[in-house]
Amino acid sequence: MSRSSAEGFQPVNKDTVVSMWRERFGISEDVFKGFGFFRRGRMIWAFSLPEIPPFRCESIGMRVISMRESPWKPTTYALQLWGRHARKNVIDLNDEMARRFFAGESLELRAQVERGYVVVTHMGSVIGCGLYTPGKLISQLPRERRILDDQNAPEHHAQPGDTQQDGTE
Amino acid sequence: MASEHLERYRDIIPDFDAFLDSMSRPLPVTVRINTLKTSAPELLSRLDRAGVGYERMRWYPLGLRLDVEKPGRLMEFHMGLIHVQEEISMLPPVVLDPLPGERILDLCAAPGGKAAQMSMQMSNRGLIVANDSSSARIVPLRANLERLGAVNTIVTSYDGRRFPEYTFDRALVDAPCSSEGTARRHPGVISRCSVKRSMDLQSLQVSLLRRAIQLTKPGGVVVYSTCTFAPEENEGVVSRVLDLADVESFTVPGLRSSPGLPSWNGNDYGEELVKCRRYYPHENDTGGFFVAKLRRRLSAGE
Repeated sequence: MSRSSAEGFQPVNKDTVVSMWRERFGISEDVFKGFGFFRRGRMIWAFSLPEIPPFRCESIGMRVISMRESPWKPTTYALQLWGRHARKNVIDLNDEMARRFFAGESLELRAQVERGYVVVTHMGSVIGCGLYTPGKLISQLPRERRILDDQNAPEHHAQPGDTQQDGTE
Repeated sequence: MASEHLERYRDIIPDFDAFLDSMSRPLPVTVRINTLKTSAPELLSRLDRAGVGYERMRWYPLGLRLDVEKPGRLMEFHMGLIHVQEEISMLPPVVLDPLPGERILDLCAAPGGKAAQMSMQMSNRGLIVANDSSSARIVPLRANLERLGAVNTIVTSYDGRRFPEYTFDRALVDAPCSSEGTARRHPGVISRCSVKRSMDLQSLQVSLLRRAIQLTKPGGVVVYSTCTFAPEENEGVVSRVLDLADVESFTVPGLRSSPGLPSWNGNDYGEELVKCRRYYPHENDTGGFFVAKLRRRLSAGE
């Protein structure tokens, strides 16, 4: 978590970013109206203003795309925010599969989607990013978004959100 | 419960024995529905289907009391559809009422629940500067804002007393405090409280609040809040910024409260301090809180 200045963020061409969401997921460009996109390192960040205010910023907005992979990979948090507008490359899981996906398991399944990154949902609510190859869905959830025990788990297994450090106040 | 320290409030807290009794009971589990990622009907139907019991807050339609012990294990938490947030801590953003497109300062923002709540109020438009002086607290602050989808935020880590020059439409100062009002969750907190500690904190709180007012446009609203009962950290702080801002009264239908104190222990804070609101644990079955709504003077004598 290194300290960086606003100058560390370079504006990126909005059309490039918006067309990725449109081509891969069929998300309308209207969804991104008013947002700007910036690059730092190999990540693309979304922010609500076209220019970054003149502060020493620890971070701006939200990481939405990783350029480390080819093709570019959408972040789970971006899909949680915008994935409900997707018209294709969405896989909806039943209760049991959603639980296993949250546990970080790869799922054996066949879906009417293209190979590559997909929006994974449960009852229409977005879980996050998955990688689909025919017959298999691999979880791309960040480690801190995994739920390792089921609802009957013993209480001593702390989860994010159980403590003041992450979530509560 | 170390209630000796709390005895000093016997004359100002109504129904004091009920207050002491509530302070020894655990807090209900409460969450806020994150409308950046879901809607109340969608979230409630998910809870119904999962068999999770809930009760909606009377004063805040996006607040829920949940009948679960570990909300951090719910799928809905990891989807960012809910945020685990103490009921009364949902109040300051409601009083501040930031609007889409405005520029907002959250001077003491960690762990970020209120900043993310303001993002939601602003439909992710405009700007929230979520500042916290502690680099250790920046990590959970960033993590919460990201999980909740707060795109209109930037995170900074300045000493709030020396926050750089800028003009905000509104500001929130949810100040570091002795945290007496969190004793239902952190029972050990009372044993660390003393008048001396409150007076030390008062200096810091006054500096933070004065800076926030200076950074807000003339006529702009500044909300000052703490989670303590100590008048030294509440009315005692607000009384020291009245050269810059006026206190305004406010009401939140459905939420019980007590008026601010015009004086305490021989200190005369001023009659307008009754416009502040005190929220005691036994009034709403919440933690304890203090909220003041201030408006920067059009011609502030700085």
